[in-house]
Amino acid sequence: MNKTVLIIGVIIVAVVIFVLFAGLGKDPAIIDSPLIGKPAPPFALKAVGSGETIDLTALRGKPVVLNFWATWCGPCYEEHPTLVANARNLPNVQFVGVVFNDEEDKIMRFLAQRGTAYPTLLDTNGKTAIAYGVGGVPETYFINPAGTIVAKYAGPLSTEELQANLAKALQ
Amino acid sequence: MMAMLVLLAFLQVKVPDAAQIIGPPAGTPVTGAQLERRTMEISSELRCPVCQGLAIGDSPSIMAANMKAQVRELLERGYTETQILSYFEKSYGQFVLLKPKFQGVNALVWILPIAALAIGFLLVMSKAKKLESAPAKASLPEEPADDPYLAQVREMVDKQ
Repeated sequence: MNKTVLIIGVIIVAVVIFVLFAGLGKDPAIIDSPLIGKPAPPFALKAVGSGETIDLTALRGKPVVLNFWATWCGPCYEEHPTLVANARNLPNVQFVGVVFNDEEDKIMRFLAQRGTAYPTLLDTNGKTAIAYGVGGVPETYFINPAGTIVAKYAGPLSTEELQANLAKALQ
Repeated sequence: MMAMLVLLAFLQVKVPDAAQIIGPPAGTPVTGAQLERRTMEISSELRCPVCQGLAIGDSPSIMAANMKAQVRELLERGYTETQILSYFEKSYGQFVLLKPKFQGVNALVWILPIAALAIGFLLVMSKAKKLESAPAKASLPEEPADDPYLAQVREMVDKQ
């Protein structure tokens, strides 16, 4: 009986150690999105400043970098120059910013001070963010020219991370 | 004219709709006090994605408030609890469900406590059996085969 108990104990401890090691190796900010490989939820939102409506479905044919952010988010300040620089360098890629739970005048001030190179849309009630499974900001979705989500990145992007994810959208 | 333009701009705005994700409502619209109660019940089953293990019903975050408003709206439109949970699961994954589903690795969450209880019960039962048999053995101690005193007694008895 003691041998049986020992074997069971060893198995349980081995499973716990395996689960802990597998979990500790992961970045807790990155959650696998069930939307990867699925069509990007369609939306048409008003652009801050111009008031123009941007329809995601009208952007088919080009890879899209869809970035959720807000002016009250610290890491978004850090990420913004990377997005603007890449948007300027990659004219064949459509960058779109979606701001949720924010005020239009604050967003306009942010963009006036830090510059912009792509439309920033207003998601007033956060419904678009919910449909994309946004947990926190910044979060970026990479959509291929066919309108399928190919990658999700949680946290501020560096140029290397942006281009590595964008490569998946260009395959 | 201005009001018309504002209305037109508002109408042009289109957010992802639940019907595109989970189809038409399968239940009946909920209103009044029942709407509040059902919103709270379903909100207690959904994890706030920006909090540490809090339900959206208990979280003061903006994200949780948005999700709760979405739950309320879907109930008003006649969506069932299963459909609403499925709506959030389709965008956030099973992570958003505070009560994990009995499938895949998540099934272990349900199976392991029951298995641990069963193993514990079996261990207790086996120990109890051993304890029951132990006093019986104690009352009849085995006679040592090479006890000289016992051998002497046996010899005397045999002689008589």
